[in-house]
Amino acid sequence: MKQRTKWGSEAGKHIVLIVGTLVVILPFYLMISFSFKSPSEIQSISGGFFGAQEMMTDHRCLKAGRSEVECTMLPIVYNYRAAFEEAPLLRYLLNGVIVTLSIFAIQVLIALPCAYALAKLKFWGRDVVFGLVIFCLLIPVHAIALPLYLMLAKFGLTNTFAALVIPWTISVFGIFLMRQFFKTVPDDLINAARMDGMSEFSIVWKVMLPTAIPALLAFAIFSVVAHWNDYYWPRVVITGDRDLMTPPLGLRMFKSDMDGNEYGPMMAAATVVVAPLVVAFLLAQRRFIEGITLSGMK
Amino acid sequence: MGHTRSHFWFVSPAVILMFVILILPVFVAGTFSFTDYNLGSTDFKWIGWKNYESLGKFSSYSKMFTASLTYVVIVVPVSVLLGLGSAMLISSLRFGGEFYKAIFFLPVMATLLAMAYAWEFALDPVMGVINKVLDDGCSVGWFYKFFTGSWLGFNPTESWYGGLCSDRMPNWLGNKKYALGSISFIGIWQAFGFNMVLYLAGLTSIPQDLYAAAEIDGANSTWEKFKLVTWPMLGPTHVFVVTITSIRSFQVFDTVEALTRGGPSKSTYVMVYAMFEKGVKQNLIGMGSTLTIVFLGFVLLLTLTQVYFINRKVHYS
Repeated sequence: MKQRTKWGSEAGKHIVLIVGTLVVILPFYLMISFSFKSPSEIQSISGGFFGAQEMMTDHRCLKAGRSEVECTMLPIVYNYRAAFEEAPLLRYLLNGVIVTLSIFAIQVLIALPCAYALAKLKFWGRDVVFGLVIFCLLIPVHAIALPLYLMLAKFGLTNTFAALVIPWTISVFGIFLMRQFFKTVPDDLINAARMDGMSEFSIVWKVMLPTAIPALLAFAIFSVVAHWNDYYWPRVVITGDRDLMTPPLGLRMFKSDMDGNEYGPMMAAATVVVAPLVVAFLLAQRRFIEGITLSGMK
Repeated sequence: MGHTRSHFWFVSPAVILMFVILILPVFVAGTFSFTDYNLGSTDFKWIGWKNYESLGKFSSYSKMFTASLTYVVIVVPVSVLLGLGSAMLISSLRFGGEFYKAIFFLPVMATLLAMAYAWEFALDPVMGVINKVLDDGCSVGWFYKFFTGSWLGFNPTESWYGGLCSDRMPNWLGNKKYALGSISFIGIWQAFGFNMVLYLAGLTSIPQDLYAAAEIDGANSTWEKFKLVTWPMLGPTHVFVVTITSIRSFQVFDTVEALTRGGPSKSTYVMVYAMFEKGVKQNLIGMGSTLTIVFLGFVLLLTLTQVYFINRKVHYS
């Protein structure tokens, strides 16, 4: 009897969670499904998930003077081809990679030595610097976007890669995190390195960096996810120059350019932008959850 | 000691950047908030507190505060409770927990702007799947009964859903009655998975013998154990989850900019969007700076509240 109620409540929980799953999945389902379907199937909400995949004619392709055969294709091919051809989607993706990786590299370059000094070196003013780090944790960069934009504009730096990267070069959160981590590294390790005649500089990069790989990996995920997905800051500093746009900004450009019913190509582009992180997440769930909730563990 | 000087080279780049990138802008915003500066003109006048006064004078700013606060007041409690609820359900499952956890975390990972467009298609009044389901539901007996509340004895034609059935389905993002609610819904959809993960971590750190002890004290029902052990032991998690969700909800921008641009009739005119519109789009640096300062004030207030609660020793361990 008791066994039965136990399985009953297990089933009840699954029902609730499955309803939740359906709601959470809905926009992903629509996005992927729309990227497969023809315009008419999207308009009439028909065709199931994959659509009927009946051959269709691309009118813009015909107008460009190509042959009927060349311009007849499956809706899925049409959508993804349009996504890559109508908009410089590859360029956007490449920009996204360049921006996120440069941000992360500079953040580490600045934060790691500082964190090491705060954790392991004794010097006058150390507590003041650490206090400054804690204070700066209170300032969200998005909140001061306007004065930052103003300062960059004064130096003529808007609409440059530098503008996309500069505000994020200092990660006080990264300093704080790495300091906490370095605190746990035994002093003996550092002293032994000093006995071997290593300079403080090489201690940071040859001794501390390797011990910090797990923490750095979590921070990398935190940083890359945040900046790949960031829309606000690129929207503020990049106006018009498509060669500098990051994926979310490019997506928005694509939307405002498209005429009437280009929903298929639009959702194909969205799928391409969302896919890298989602796939990486599904492959390494534990690491991703750890990285993104880092800020929750301080 | 040979290493006494190296600290200078290690610390100074970070310190300089902290001053230039994080602290200086606060002062820049503070200064310009007392001027009528705009990016086009070459000089500006000091106008004292006028910008701050206009916050109270113009209806667009009171609409802004209303929109931001309403958004926070909807999104924070719902996404925190959904996070807690799903964490408790998942942690008590015998199998499948990892699956749901991964699914519920997906929205946290996915590019919000792209997902906002997907939601826009779902919420479309004509070809959106949500209105199609609601529309079809009008003629499905149990669905109609459930959502009109007639199974509880209400008059179906007087209910909200019944009214929609006899008229037409709402324009979720285009009607000022529904726009902020729809934007909040997307916010909840995006945020609750993050809270769930934090609560899952909090739940695993509760020692199991506390539940045994509670049972000895006579707490037998699940509800009593929850009240006596789970809820209070999650104290530090509650404080953190509530603060970070509030700060993030205050910063809502992507969905508003992509889907409603603050409209219709300023019903979704949230603070960060207002800051963007005044400061960046219209180049009214003075007013934009004022909004920046007020916004920073809100964030600071939230963080200090968090610090206050943490110092009140919400941790019991």
